[in-house]
Parts: sequence; structure tokens; C-alpha cells
Amino acid sequence: MTRAFETVIGLEVHVQLATETKLFCSCPTSYIGKEPNSMVCPVCLGLPGTLPSLNGRAVELGITAALAMGCSINRNSRFHRKNYFYPDLPKAFQISQYDLPLAVCGSIPIFIGGRKKIIGITRLHLEEDAGKLVHGSSDGRLSGTSFSLVDYNRAGIPLAEIVSEPDLSSPEEAREYVLAIRRLVRYLGVSDGDMESGSLRVDANISQKCTDGRWGNRVEIKNLNSVRAMERALEHETVRQRDILSGGGAVKQETRHWDDVAGSTRPTRGKEEAHDYRYFPEPDLPAIVVCDPMVRRLEEGIPELPWAKRERFEMEWGLDPMDSTALSERLDVAEFLEGVVAAGADSGISANWVRTDIMRILKETGLKADELPFTPEALGDLLVKISKGVLSNTAAKDVLEQMYRKGLDVAAAMNAAGVDPGGISEGTLEGVIRKVLEANPVEAGLILSGEDPSGKKKKFLQGLVMREIRGQSPVQDVASMMDKVMGEMKKPNGSSV
Amino acid sequence: MKFDGLDASQTASAVAKGELSAVDVVTASLQRIKRLEPQLNALITVMEHEALERAALVDLKVASGGDPGPLAGVPVIVKDNMCTHGVRTSCGSRMLEKWVPPYDASVVGYLQCAGAVIIGKSNMDEFAMGSSTEHSAFGPTSNPIDTSRVPGGSSGGSAASVAAGYVPLALGSDTGGSIRQPAAFCGVHGLKPTYGLVSRWGLVAFASSLDQIGPFARSVADIALAMDVIAVPDPRDPTCSRGERPSFRNLAESPDLKGMRIGVVREFLGDSLHPDLRQAISEAESFLASSGCGIVDISLADSASFGLPCYYIIAPAEASSNLARFDGVRYGHREDAENLVCQYTRTRATGFGEEVKRRILTGTFALSSGYYDAYYLTALKARKKISDEFERAFSSADIILMPATPSLPFRKGELMDDPISMYMSDVFTLPVNLAGLPGMTVYAGLNAEGLPLSVQIVAPRWEDSRLINCAAVLEQHFGRPSSAMGGVY
Repeated sequence: MTRAFETVIGLEVHVQLATETKLFCSCPTSYIGKEPNSMVCPVCLGLPGTLPSLNGRAVELGITAALAMGCSINRNSRFHRKNYFYPDLPKAFQISQYDLPLAVCGSIPIFIGGRKKIIGITRLHLEEDAGKLVHGSSDGRLSGTSFSLVDYNRAGIPLAEIVSEPDLSSPEEAREYVLAIRRLVRYLGVSDGDMESGSLRVDANISQKCTDGRWGNRVEIKNLNSVRAMERALEHETVRQRDILSGGGAVKQETRHWDDVAGSTRPTRGKEEAHDYRYFPEPDLPAIVVCDPMVRRLEEGIPELPWAKRERFEMEWGLDPMDSTALSERLDVAEFLEGVVAAGADSGISANWVRTDIMRILKETGLKADELPFTPEALGDLLVKISKGVLSNTAAKDVLEQMYRKGLDVAAAMNAAGVDPGGISEGTLEGVIRKVLEANPVEAGLILSGEDPSGKKKKFLQGLVMREIRGQSPVQDVASMMDKVMGEMKKPNGSSV
Repeated sequence: MKFDGLDASQTASAVAKGELSAVDVVTASLQRIKRLEPQLNALITVMEHEALERAALVDLKVASGGDPGPLAGVPVIVKDNMCTHGVRTSCGSRMLEKWVPPYDASVVGYLQCAGAVIIGKSNMDEFAMGSSTEHSAFGPTSNPIDTSRVPGGSSGGSAASVAAGYVPLALGSDTGGSIRQPAAFCGVHGLKPTYGLVSRWGLVAFASSLDQIGPFARSVADIALAMDVIAVPDPRDPTCSRGERPSFRNLAESPDLKGMRIGVVREFLGDSLHPDLRQAISEAESFLASSGCGIVDISLADSASFGLPCYYIIAPAEASSNLARFDGVRYGHREDAENLVCQYTRTRATGFGEEVKRRILTGTFALSSGYYDAYYLTALKARKKISDEFERAFSSADIILMPATPSLPFRKGELMDDPISMYMSDVFTLPVNLAGLPGMTVYAGLNAEGLPLSVQIVAPRWEDSRLINCAAVLEQHFGRPSSAMGGVY
């Protein structure tokens, strides 16, 4: 009998909260690229006699993320100590949350092939990060090392751990979920969500449910350093577990380590996972009491969420899912687009411009949309000029270039670009058209003799005219003037080409 | 001007007026320490150089007309689990034998701001675990009243320092009785404040939910003076109250107990209590009654039955976590080994003494999965019952009067092989820590053999001032202890 399997995945995502200082001391969090152990103090080094003081900003950011996922915020939550020995853990316990996390019971939508799926969020809790071990072996790995160095710059960095329900049923869904979390935390400014630098980390739990009613044991996979690595690891683990179950075997409940080079998972050594963390309430920290006004204030500060914006862009403006996704990913970009449309510009043209030209500028400069030297209203004005036929698309791009490079307003940028709408007189335009027709007798002849049914030759000639006049007349004016000139050519008393 | 017999406030006011020089005061203190330390071993580190330097600064301030503070030039000793910037802080352990903190405990800073001169770090049971100051990697401390006896513990060095007249004032820490029991054994006053009244920043933690710093002195006025200096809000300790504190000193100067109801705990006065201590309680009771207090009987049955087992789960559980950081990786004692796990185990096996290891093992066990509910969680429930029981008691009494210890100071070595009996000596003090209440040992004279007697008074949370008030009244009856061995102070 052939059996079918369902994959069941739950993820634990750790995001580094975008605070200025660490979770329990006032050391800065900007440790990337800094001298090892240069951003530490007696508190984050866990020296005897020191006590933690909770960073209120971390609590706010955690609550903000939780509210955006529709979680309920525990009005009373507390910290526990998670005890284990490891050199990167200065106090030999991690201050984390256990039975009373900051928030519980939320959800986040993901989109798979245009289909929306709601993924449950079990909990969000706060905890401190550990330091980092640097092993002395030539390849930087633990095996074969004769010594290891510890850098405590990262120790005490605030993390929010977001635990999903086991609602994900494929590596692809897992990927979309992680991307959705990353988008959300970036969107809210809760975290920079950068997986490469470690400010977003994922552990995956995966098991198989068999149609014959059997359940495979859950396996936890660690060392997932990129979204791609996670997907590959989950694909590999799906196959591995199904093979075992198909062969009548049992999947061992264990923690496995993803080896990105080998493309496979292997069990972590038994000792590492034989932990009894001996959780107990952290006696040095009072309970975190969150009052209703605080929740209300944070709730009010949450902008329309990316998935809501996305749906609205599609419903109201008729954007396609590709555009609506791309344009709702960043709050600054989405709000910029909304500003452009609010200034009266056509939503389709606006979406197109923001997705191409504005995104390109943002990528080049690393700016956020609200840091651009021009306002969304200015771009809106510019795009209105296109719709009204005052400016050509080409000319408008030149103008935008001036607005961004020189920080000019629309009028000044038009001057600087040498674009003067309506600045070409009818006479000049007519002259240019005649010149172009003379220079392209073959195309002109074909048009005149009615051999350009698709109008392609005509468009080509109009394009040449536009180039000559550098887009300073609306394309409609060029077309009608060209028709007029060619009409004259056809007349018996007109000069024949 | 001679300062024999002066207390801290008298010394400070003489220094402030320029009648005494701080350097002279400190020098006399240091000389006495030099003479008696071979017999007492009350100190782990004598800060001679630092102390003389600071005393000179105090004198300079006086000379320049500045305010030298309420403890100007007063030599003070702090227990060696309070961090002192640049001065070794050992906790009586081999583990921290050479550890020098890069910061001061908050209380150390407060003392120094008040003009006090810290002249030494006192001996203690290792990491404050013990009741005799025999569990110290630096050898035992002797009781100045009878050097064949222990001074109590774990703050035995601080208690002995005050009793022997090294200093008028010392700080200790009290997790289950570590101020009040040695105060009783050495015949001085000792106050454990309400949990959260005095900052724990810089106090090397034993059991974080129970630890509290407090003063030893030979006069209630000095206890009050010290409290005014150290009991201030501190943002560095999130468990330290931000509330206002009364002026303890004013209360000590004009005590008034009229109309106060004194609750006497009858079940603590049974046969297990030394008869001389029972006598001290009844003497205190009569005097308080004659001072205008009402006397009521109260019961603390839950404290009596669950206090000790509850404490010996919660305190070791927290300690097992607090002391886990001593792994030899960053600071302190380290035994190098062929791999990490061996380095950990050897470091900890050789760095910690027997009693500390016993408690780490107990605490680790109590928190282990499968045992947590049966031990730690049950202990938390018992702790709640004890707190509730005290609260009920305080509905009929304003101050509770009870013994501080069941026995008179025992002889050195007497209980070293009998940890349970040793633990029993805190049976009357540790329920007070479990409930977070203020408790004070008040000197109650000497018995026929010349050994010190005492009583303990306990008040509701944040009512530390009531204890000062009551102790000042009791002092009128029992008198102040004089320094043993013919002391300077």
C-alpha cells in the first residue's frame, strides 16, 4: 500500500529588536564590525553583584510586533532564568520568558501562489542574546580547535522570539512565513530583520503525518543561516523522515544540525541537547506590568499593515499582485505611493513610477522614501502633467532626475532639464516635422500611400520628432501636427515628396 | 580629644567640627585591628592605604569648610560580598580569592558620600552560606566575647568587628539571619531591613529574593544613622523601592511606643530555646509593657513548621543559579583542563567549599525537571503561607517580639559536622526573610557567664522605623553593649 504524508512545520523566529541599548544595561547594540568585547559592561558580562534593569523600549517594540500580529498582550508577564553552562553565556543563565510571555495567540497571513493562508502565532517573548564563540582552529570550527575566544558584544542584545503554530505544511510556506515576519518587523521598525548579520534567526520544527494515522516524531533543525538554507534543510528533512517512515522505521525526536555544504542534517551531539534548563522566575526583575493606556498608545502608532495595504492597492487601484506586494513591503515606499496618488496622479502610473524609478533611486542612495529630496506631492504633480499630455514620459523622467540629483522642485527641475512644456511653438514643431519627414522619405511615402495600417511607421517618425524636440510637446500635439503636415503633402497643390 | 566610647554619630560630629581628625580616628582603628586580628581574624582585607587616603580627604574637606557628611571620618567595615572598586572582593571563597571588582556596591558609594571611611572587608561564611563564619576560605573568625566561640554568621566578621571595637559601624548581608544571628552571638545590634529598602547593586548574590544589606552597631542611634545613609532608592536595583524613607535618626532620638501592640510568639518560647534567651524575651516584654505597650499573644505556626524546609529549598535553588557564573571562563579561580567540561568541573570542585557545594547540589536538584513541582513550587506555596501568616499576625500586633536565635554562641567546630543543627540556628530569623519583613536583633545584656543575650523584633514591610523606635526603647532598659576586649569604640 502506498502511503501519503503531510509535512507539519512550526518555526521559532528570533528577531533582534531595534533598540539603542541592550536589554538589561546601557551598552550600545551597534556591535557589528566593532572590536570584540568593546561594547560590554559589568552587567552584560554578568560580573558578581550586578543586576539587570529592563529596557522599556524593548518591551514597546515587542508589544508593537505582537499587536501587529493580533496577539493578546499579557498585562502581567515575567522573566525566567534558563540555566545552562556555556562560555558564551556570561551568567550561566539566559534571562528569558517562560510561562508568562509578553504576548500570545496571534496570526499572520502568508500568500502562496495568490492563495492566502493564515499562520497562527503561539507566542512572542523577550530574551537576551548570548555572546559569540570564535574557535581557534584554522577553519573557525569547533572540531579540532585547541582554544576558543569569546566576544560578549552580542551578550544582552534584546531579542523577540516569535513561535508559530505548526501550521506550515511545506518548505515553501515556511519561506513565505519567514519573509512575512521579516517584512513585518522591518515595516514596523521593530528590527532590521537582516538574516545575514544574525538579527533574524530561525529554528525549525518538522514532523510528518502519515495517512495511515501514524505521526512521526518532531525534529528540531538548527544552524539555518538563510531563508534558502532553511528551505533546503526542510526539503532534505522531509525526504529523510518520509523515507524512514515508509520503511517502517520511527523518526527519532532530536535536534539536528543543518550542514549547508553537505546539504544534509545530522544529529547534534547528545551532550549538547541533554539540557535540563531548570527554569525558575528571575528574582532580580519585577513582573512586567503592561497597562491599557500603554497598549492603546502603541496600537495607535501601528500603521496600516502590509497585507492590508496590499489588499487595498488591489481592490481600490486594481494593481496586480506583483505590484501590490512589492509596493506594500516597505512602509516608507507604500506611504510615498499613497502621497503621489493623493496628489491627483493616476494610481496605475504612480505605481509604475514608484516601483521602477523611485525604487531604483532608493536602492542607489540607500535612502528611505521620506528622506528623498522631493515630496510625493511633487512627483504627483509631475505625473499629472503626463496624464494631461503636458509632458511626455521621457521628459518627465529627465525632470525627475533633476529633482532627485539637485533637489529642485518641479518647475526648477523642468528648467534645469531644459524641458519647457508648450515652449515649442507650432511653427517650430512644424519645421521639425518637415525636417524629419524629409530625412525619412521611405517611411513617409509608405504612410502617405496608405501602406502603414498598423501605424508603426507613424509611431517611429513621431518618436524621432519627440527626440528632436526633447519631449517638450505632448505626444498628442506632435501626432496632430504630423497629420496636418502630411495632409498638406497629399493635397494636389502641395509639394510631393 | 579621645574617642574611646564614642559612637559613630559622636565621632562624625567631632570630625566635622575639627575636634578630631579623621586620619587619627582611622589610624587608631587600624592599630586596634593590627593588635587583635591575630586572635579574631574578623577581616579578609584591611584597606589601610585607601582608608588613610580617604580620611585625609575628609580632613581636607573639613579644613576647607565643606560639609563632610553625616558619617565624616567614621571608620566602617563592610562584608566581603560587597563590591569595592579596586579592592579584592572575595566572598570568603577561593573562587574569588583574587577578584577585584571594577565598581563599588551602591551602599559603598553611599557610605563614602556620607564621609565614612571604609577600612576593611570582613570575613564571612563562603558566599554567605553558613551561621558561624567557619565556612570561610580565609579561616574562621572568633567571637570577641569568648574567642573559643563562633561569632555567628554569615556576617560574623562584621559583627565581631563592631563587638571588638574595630569600628562603630559595619555592614552585613542577611539572607536567612546572617545579620541578626551574628549580632546576637556577638552582643551588638543588627538590622535586616525590609526587602527592597536597601539597594543590592554590587552585593554578590546568594539568594536574590531574600538577600538584604543592613547595619551592625553598638547603639540604636548608629543603626538609624547608617540606615539614613544606605536606605535610599537606587535605579540600579529594580527590586529596590522608589518610595520615600523616613528619617530613622529622628526616631532613634525620641522613641515613643505608647499604644503599640507587641505580639509575643509563644510557640517560639518552648524548650528548644535557651532559658537565658527566654528570660531576655520576658524581660523585654515587661519593660515594653511598662513603657506603654500592649502585649498580645500571636501564633506563627506555619513559620515554625515550614520556615526551615521552605528556606532550604528556595535559597539553595536561587544560589545554584547565582553561583553558576563562577565557571573560570571570565574571572576568578580557574583550573585548566583538557576540555571545557573538565575545566568547569575542576574549577568548581576546587574553587567552592563543602557547604557551598552542598547548597548548589540541593538547589540544582530542587529545580530539576521532575522535581521542580514537588520542591521549588511547593516551597513557593509555603513561602506564601508564611507571608500570609505574618500579615494576619500584624492585624493584632504592631511589632512582633521573638528570639533571634535558639542558642547562645556555640563553640568553634561544635556544629561543623552537623549541618542540620547549624541550619537550626536560623530557625527564628529565616521566616522574616521569606516574608520580606524588617527584623532586628537588639542587645539584651549578658548572662551570668558573660555571654550576650538578645531579642528579635519584627515589623510589617516598610515599617523599619518601628523597629528603630522599639529598639531605642529597649536600649533604655538593656543598655548599650560595650566593646569587648577593651575596645577603641
